[in-house]
Amino acid sequence: MTVAAPHSSDRNPGYAWVALPPLTGFVALIWGLLHHPLPWRGGWAWAPSLGVEFALHIDGLSAQFLVLITGIGALVFVYASDYLAHEPARGRLFLILTVFMLAMAGAVGADHLLVLFVFWELTSLTSFLLVGFHHDDEQARASARQALLVTMGGGLALLAAILLLAAMARSYSLRTIIAQGPVLVDDPRLPAALILLFIGCFTKSAQFPFHFWLPNAMTAPTPVSAYLHSATMVNLGVYLLARLDPAFNDLFLWEAALLGFGTLTAVWGAVQALRERDLKRILAWSTVSALGTLTLLIGLSNPGAGLAVAAFLFAHALYKAPLFFVAGNIDHATGTRLIDRLMGLWRAMPWTAAAAVLAGLSMAGLPLSFGFVAKDLITTAKADADVLALVGYATLFVNGVAAAVAGVATIRIFGGPPEWPKGHVREVSWRMTLPPLLIALVGIEFEFLPNIADPLLAEAALAISPALGTVDVAASYQFGTVLTATEITLLVGLVLFLLWDRVHDLLQRVYWLDHLGPAACYERTLNGVIHLAAWQTRALQHGRLAGYLRLSIVGLLALATGAALATGMSDFIGASGALFREWPAQGWAWLVAVVLIVAGAGASVVLRNRMALLMASGLVGYGSAVLFLFTGAPDLAFTQFAVETALVVVAAALLPRYGVPPVVTGEPRVGNALLALACGAGTFALLLQLFALPPDSTLADWFGAASLPQAHGRNVVNVIIVDFRALDTLGEITVVIFSLIAALPLLGALARRSDRP
Amino acid sequence: MMNPRALVLERATRPLYWVILTAAIWILLRGHNEPGGGFIGGLVALAATAAYAIVFGVAAARRLLPCAPLPLAVLGVLLALASGLPAVALGRPYLTHLWFALPLGFAEPKLSTVLLFDAGVFGAVWGALAGYVLVLLRDAESAPVEETS
Repeated sequence: MTVAAPHSSDRNPGYAWVALPPLTGFVALIWGLLHHPLPWRGGWAWAPSLGVEFALHIDGLSAQFLVLITGIGALVFVYASDYLAHEPARGRLFLILTVFMLAMAGAVGADHLLVLFVFWELTSLTSFLLVGFHHDDEQARASARQALLVTMGGGLALLAAILLLAAMARSYSLRTIIAQGPVLVDDPRLPAALILLFIGCFTKSAQFPFHFWLPNAMTAPTPVSAYLHSATMVNLGVYLLARLDPAFNDLFLWEAALLGFGTLTAVWGAVQALRERDLKRILAWSTVSALGTLTLLIGLSNPGAGLAVAAFLFAHALYKAPLFFVAGNIDHATGTRLIDRLMGLWRAMPWTAAAAVLAGLSMAGLPLSFGFVAKDLITTAKADADVLALVGYATLFVNGVAAAVAGVATIRIFGGPPEWPKGHVREVSWRMTLPPLLIALVGIEFEFLPNIADPLLAEAALAISPALGTVDVAASYQFGTVLTATEITLLVGLVLFLLWDRVHDLLQRVYWLDHLGPAACYERTLNGVIHLAAWQTRALQHGRLAGYLRLSIVGLLALATGAALATGMSDFIGASGALFREWPAQGWAWLVAVVLIVAGAGASVVLRNRMALLMASGLVGYGSAVLFLFTGAPDLAFTQFAVETALVVVAAALLPRYGVPPVVTGEPRVGNALLALACGAGTFALLLQLFALPPDSTLADWFGAASLPQAHGRNVVNVIIVDFRALDTLGEITVVIFSLIAALPLLGALARRSDRP
Repeated sequence: MMNPRALVLERATRPLYWVILTAAIWILLRGHNEPGGGFIGGLVALAATAAYAIVFGVAAARRLLPCAPLPLAVLGVLLALASGLPAVALGRPYLTHLWFALPLGFAEPKLSTVLLFDAGVFGAVWGALAGYVLVLLRDAESAPVEETS
C-alpha cells in the first residue's frame, strides 16, 4: 500500500478513556512525590504459609520507573486509541496493555524477590501476547515465540539466582540482600548466583548475546513498541542490575561482566542499526545500543555513574518513545517505514516533524536538551572511573551512531523537497501527534517540572550509588566542562549521517555476520529441538502397542536390576525366609488368588482367540482383586473388580465392531517370551527387596487413629480421599475430565478415519 | 441391529440397569464407613451405562444419563469444588468438611459436606468414563461389523 489510509478517527473516539487509569496513577504519583518524602513502604501478607509478603518499597529508582510507566503509559493509551481505531481486536490489546502496566509497576515496586519475579514473568507473558498481537501473521508469531523463549528462559535463570541469593542472605527482601552485600561477597555460591542473575537480566534487557529478540519484537503494533520495547519493559533487567549495584559494585566479576557485555551490546546494536533500512528497526537497534550503554554505566564503580544511569534512563525513554510514535505516524500516513522511500515530509506532517526534531535533538545529545545532560553525565562518569580506553572509544562511536540515527529520523525523512504528490500524505490526528510532542517537550525542557525531576533523579541516583551524597542535577544543565567530547561525538554522528548509505552498503556486504550471530544460533537450536522432538516421537511414540509394552517392561527390569545391585543378594535370602516362615492366617484365600492369576497368565500365553485372551486377562485382574480383598484392602479390591469388569465388557463389545480379526495370527516370538519371563522374575525380586525393608507405619497409624475422631469416618481409605487429601482428589478428578476433553477430538478423528475404507 | 439370540440379555438389562445404578448410589452413600465411596460408585454406575449401551445402543444409554457425559463430569467437579466453600464462609480453611445431624424424628441421618464432595467424585468419574465408553461404542456402531471378512 502506498497511499495513506483515510483517517476517520474523529468519528471513532473509541477507547481514549482507557488512558484515564494510567493518567490518574501519574497524577497521584506526582502529587505523592511532591507531598511525601521517599521511600514509601507498604505490604500485606500474600502467602503467609510460604512466608511471602507482598512487600512494597518505593525509593527514588522505583519512583523514576513508576513516573515513566504511568506517564508514558497514559500517552501510549491515547496514541493507541487512534492508531488502532480500525483494529477490531483493540479491546484485547488495551486489556493486555493494562495488565502489563500493572505488572511493570508491581515489578519495580516489589521488595520481596519472589513478588518481583512473578511480576517480571508477567511482563514477559504480556509482551509475548502483544508482539504476537497480529497472530494471523506468521512473522509475528515467530517473533512472539522468540521473545517468549528468550525472556522466559532468562526468567528461569533469574528464579535460580533469586533462590541462591535468598539462601545466602536468608531473606527474600531486596533491601536485606543489598545491606548484606559485603557479607555475600565471601560466599562461594555468589559467582553462580551472579551469572544466573546476569542471564536473567541480559535476556530481559536485550544484552548481547540475547539481544536479537528485541528488533524482531518490532512486529508488535507501534504503541506497544514505544511502550514495552523502548521505554519500560526492556529496562527491567537494567533496573534489577542497578538495584543490586550497591551490593556488588566492587566485585571484579560484576564490573567485568557489566562493562564487557554492556560495551559489546552497545557497539553491536550501533553497527546493526547501520545495516537496517526500516525506520522502526533502526530505532530498535539503537534501543539495544542504549541498553548496552546503561549496563556498562552500571558496571562503572564510581558514584557518579549512578547519576548517569538515572539520567540516561530518563533521557532515553523521553526521546525513544516519541521517535517510535513518529515512526508509527509515518507508517500510518504513508504506508511505509523504509527510509529510502521517505523524504520531505515536513510540509505534509508539520506536528510529527516537530516532535521528531525535539526528540532527535535529545537523542543526538545537543545542548539544551536533556539528552545533552545525560551524555555529559556519562562522559563525566567515565572520566572519573578508571576504564579501559577501548570502552571510551566504543561509547564515542555508539553516541555518534545515535546522533546519526537522530539525523536520519529527522533531517533525512522530514527535510528536503516534498517528494510525495500533494494531498496524498496527510498529517495524522491530534491524538497521534500530541503524545510524542508532549514527551519530547518534557525531554527538551526538563526544567518543565523542576520541583519533581531534579530531586527524583537525585533520589534515583542515590538508590544506585549510595556513596553519591547530595547532588545538584541543575548544575549539569550548564554547558559541561567536557564539551569537547560532545563535539567529537557530534562530528562522528555527522560523518555517519552524511555517509549513511555508503556505510550501509558496506555493512550489508558482511552478510556472513547473519550466519554466525546469536540469532542464527537461536534458529539452529530451535530447529534442533524440533528435529529432536520429531525423532523421539518417531522412535518412542510410534503408535504400536507392543512396542510401548516392550519399552515399559525393559524399564521395569532395569529398575529391578538396579535395586538388586544396590542392596546385594543377602537381603533377598533373609527376606524370602521371613516371607515363608509361617503360613499366614488367610493363606488359603491368597492361594486361590494366586491360582486365578497364574491360570489367567498361562491361558493368555496359549490361547489364540482374542475374546478368550480378553477373558484370560480379566482373570488375572480378578485374581489380583481377590488378593487385595484378603490383604486388608477391600476398597482396592472393590475398585479392581469394577474396573476389570467394565474394561472386559467394553473391550469385548468393541473388538469385533472395529473389525479386529478374531484370531491372533503369526508365529510366537521367543524374544518377547524371554523378556516377559525376565520381567516377572525382576518384579518378584523387586517385591522381595521391598519386604526386606523395615516397614514404616507412621502414616498408616496416624490415619487409622485420626480417621474416626477427626473426620467421622471408619473407612480410612475413603476418609483420606474425601477429607484429609481432598485437594489432591479435586486435582485428580479435574485431570480425569481434562483427559476426556483432550481425547474427544482424537476419538472423533479415529471415527472419521474408520469411516474411510 | 439386535441379534435375536440376545433376547434374554435384552430382557435382563433393563431392570439390571436400575439395580446396578441403585447399588452404585448405595456404595457411594456407605463409603465413609464401609468399603465404597464416590470413586467406586462411579465405576459401578459406569458398568450400568456400558451394559445398557452395548445392548440398546449408545443413544438409548445417553438418554438415561442425568445429562450429557462431559457436562455430568464437569458438574461433578464443580460440586466437589463447591463443597469446600461453606468452610470458607465460616472463616475456616478451604475444604474443611462440616457435619450436622438432620433431625427427622424417626432417625437422625448425619449430613456433611463430605457427602457433597464424594457425590462430586461420583459424578466426575461416571461422566468422564461414560464419555469415553459411549464415544468408543458409538464409533463402533457406525463402523460395519463384518467389514473384514
